Amino acid sequence: MIVIGEKINGTRKAVGAAIRERDAERITQLARDQVQAGSAYLDVNAGTPPEREPDDMAWLVTTIQEAVDVPLCLDSANPEALKAGLALVKKPPIVNSVSGEKSRIDGVLPLALEYKTGLILLALDDTVGIPDTSKGRLDIVHRLVSMAKQGGLKEDQLFVDPLVTAISTGNENALLTFEAIKMIKQAYPEAHVTCGLSNVSFGMPLRSLINQTFMAMCIQMGLDSAIIDPNDRDLTSVIAAAEMLMGQDKYCQRFNRAYRAGMIGPQNNLTVGG
Amino acid sequence: MADLKDLFTAVVEMQEDAAMALTRSYLEQGVPALEIFGCYQSALEEIGKRFEQQIYFIPELIMSGEMMKAGAAILKPSMAEQGAGTQGDGGNKLGKILMATVQGDIHDIGKNIATMMLELNGMQVKDIGVDVPSDTIIQEAVDSEADVIGLSGLLTLAFDPMKSVIEKLKEKGLRDKIKVIIGGGQMDEQVCKYVGADAFVTDAVEGVNIVKGWLQG
Repeated sequence: MIVIGEKINGTRKAVGAAIRERDAERITQLARDQVQAGSAYLDVNAGTPPEREPDDMAWLVTTIQEAVDVPLCLDSANPEALKAGLALVKKPPIVNSVSGEKSRIDGVLPLALEYKTGLILLALDDTVGIPDTSKGRLDIVHRLVSMAKQGGLKEDQLFVDPLVTAISTGNENALLTFEAIKMIKQAYPEAHVTCGLSNVSFGMPLRSLINQTFMAMCIQMGLDSAIIDPNDRDLTSVIAAAEMLMGQDKYCQRFNRAYRAGMIGPQNNLTVGG
Repeated sequence: MADLKDLFTAVVEMQEDAAMALTRSYLEQGVPALEIFGCYQSALEEIGKRFEQQIYFIPELIMSGEMMKAGAAILKPSMAEQGAGTQGDGGNKLGKILMATVQGDIHDIGKNIATMMLELNGMQVKDIGVDVPSDTIIQEAVDSEADVIGLSGLLTLAFDPMKSVIEKLKEKGLRDKIKVIIGGGQMDEQVCKYVGADAFVTDAVEGVNIVKGWLQG
């Protein structure tokens, strides 16, 4: 599982304040915590108004890279903010994201192609929004994947997000995502499939239980990346178990090592060293 | 005449089949359709309370909307006969609301739920969709003589388009005539002030309460 740590996001109140106040300590702490918990990438979303977003993005990228070594996932719809981040990254980043919306295709896609970055592709556009069939979502994905490949990106640089809608507003909504994941994996075996899964539980009680169960089921369908809070121990424990059960963990060693290191399972587990 | 308590309970407890059967049976017994519809409205109010107390969640809101629609369809012919208005949903409308997700944002779940809840609470709602430019919102509001504009947006990118709707209302001298409420997961006091709206909400039931207060007050 390629975990993209989601916590450095300025639309979260405390993080937004830290960005405005240039509180580097707070941001580096979030970066370190997420890397320690196994993030392969850190998402960076300034979430500030367009006129100041490029400066904020530049400050975030610099600040985070002083603390940790992992590559970043530059998260913005604003080409200027993405440029500011791209100019500073030390490792090949992921650009988050291009969808079928014209503004993203015109503004964001060329940057990803120019800098040869990883790229998240969202299955929505501005004519239908989020299609309510898996086929509708795949139609958009096909379009986006072919544009990205024609522009020189390799299939394994692509992170396709089939999108997740709330189960509270439609009985079939999770099934639709499962189907789409499967179809994406079949069509593009080298591409990654990612998603931000917490939408699934919007409007429901016991959201983390629903998120964890959904995560396990998505992994069975072929999900191999996720934008999550890597410090959510219950969720990362479910990921470790699900990947093991899918035969992706030889001799169960990732699971058992994580257990011995005290990374998964109940907090009070006996730690006997990794 | 029966006090319709069992119908109230059936609706509140999400027993759709029982609610429909009771609706038909009261109608056959000669209970005025409007009175039966009134029972649905009180049930809805109770459901809203339970939502606020986090006993009920979005699925219950949606299901109650479906029950209310199905109930209204049963009552509609009798309400028309009994001269209670032809809307089939309680006659006179409290007020007119225009709903839109602002330009640059295509999220519609919150807007759709709010639209449904406002309609069920006796308001005449026109929903003009997602990614709607400010000028269109204002034109539609004028054309439909809206009392309230409800602007929805989930992204922080939605703040400036919301602000632009309010600035254009001011330019046209309409700001005193039309109230504006903004809704979405990111809304708070600060955003409301920045945008210049009259109120902000993060859930549909709260929105209905505020808008009802404006129209009745």
